[in-house]
Amino acid sequence: MAGGGGEAGMCAVFDPPLQGLQLVQQGAEARLYRGQFLGRAAVVKLRFPKRYRHPALEERLSRRRTAQEARSLLRCRRAGISAPVVYFVDYISNCIYLEDIIGSTTVRDYITSVQQSGKDTSNLFLLAEKIGEVLARMHDEDLIHGDLTTSNMLLRPPVEELDLVLIDFGLSFISGLPEDKGVDLYVLEKAFLSTHPNTDTLFEALLKKYSTTSKKSSPVIKKLDEVRLRGRKRSMVG
Amino acid sequence: MQHFTHQLELFPDCSVTLVLFNDVKNAVALRKKAMEGSIDGALINPAMIVDPFQILVATNKAVHLHRIGKMKTRTLNAEIIFNLSPNNNISDALKKFGISDNDSAVIIVLIEDKEKTVNLEGIISQVEGQQVSLAELNKITDIAKVKKMYKLTPQEEKIGTLLDGIICRMSTKDIA
Repeated sequence: MAGGGGEAGMCAVFDPPLQGLQLVQQGAEARLYRGQFLGRAAVVKLRFPKRYRHPALEERLSRRRTAQEARSLLRCRRAGISAPVVYFVDYISNCIYLEDIIGSTTVRDYITSVQQSGKDTSNLFLLAEKIGEVLARMHDEDLIHGDLTTSNMLLRPPVEELDLVLIDFGLSFISGLPEDKGVDLYVLEKAFLSTHPNTDTLFEALLKKYSTTSKKSSPVIKKLDEVRLRGRKRSMVG
Repeated sequence: MQHFTHQLELFPDCSVTLVLFNDVKNAVALRKKAMEGSIDGALINPAMIVDPFQILVATNKAVHLHRIGKMKTRTLNAEIIFNLSPNNNISDALKKFGISDNDSAVIIVLIEDKEKTVNLEGIISQVEGQQVSLAELNKITDIAKVKKMYKLTPQEEKIGTLLDGIICRMSTKDIA
């Protein structure tokens, strides 16, 4: 698979022509690479073509998600929410070149390791509050992440400082609706509780901090309660 | 040699050279030469530059768009200058980030690839000024002017550097 990077349109199929390129992760949506870009450590997110999609849809969808992601990252930063700096967006191969947060740990890995080590878990409560606070600020900007999980939150080193960075805004959008914010939190709740057993009180602390930080939280929490009543094996008797 | 050269990772045949000059006396003539094409380089106002990375990002994007035939301006050099701007107004960008007749400092950006070689000495000899190391840039940058141009929010300044904010705006201005 030697780089066919010279041909426009073919770039998406091959690895982006970056030196010292290292495949870090293969997701359902995109591949993540690590390498040097203009002398800096960077992460490259490549949305590769999905053969099962109709080509016209494929092109539009990939481009839209790439653009949305870049837009949301800027919006986050303008609001003072830590997210990676966007270095370059290639709309031909649908690649985003981002700042590499060196030495970062996902919140997922951090929670897991603290639980496993049996160490003092009070920092986890502080972390939960930090997350609640950041999400409240994000939602107050009417920014919906769309894919909130503990794998989409990073901690800069040293982890104990709880310096949170949000990533992966591919499914993000702008909305002021409490329903959309409630669903955003619901997605996180499901991901959180299924990935990290016995963390109900942690998540409660997260929501509590969210409520006190966000100015528009009460309709959102109300919607969250409603959304919880939907879904499998749930009685929708209002 | 006090200039700074970087080979573009995405376009390995292409290398970018940045040269900084101070005490420039012939800005008027240089501007004319650049517009005529007798100097094939982008002449940038160093007061608006906080770090060479800023120019590299602008250049990388310009080369990318040039190669796919999607530049917004007419020449590669104009495109580099345009990409430095946080907005999409071309003439405003060229005015603010390009050099003016009374400027006493200039950065010249030179691109070299398979089709074009760069005559560094030839270009340097045309500048009536002192070539200095890019490390001197921090003495020339006008931080207040830069902040005014890029309009970083106070919250943004807390989570990153001025350069971070600048780069974000440069890279997302076409879809923001």
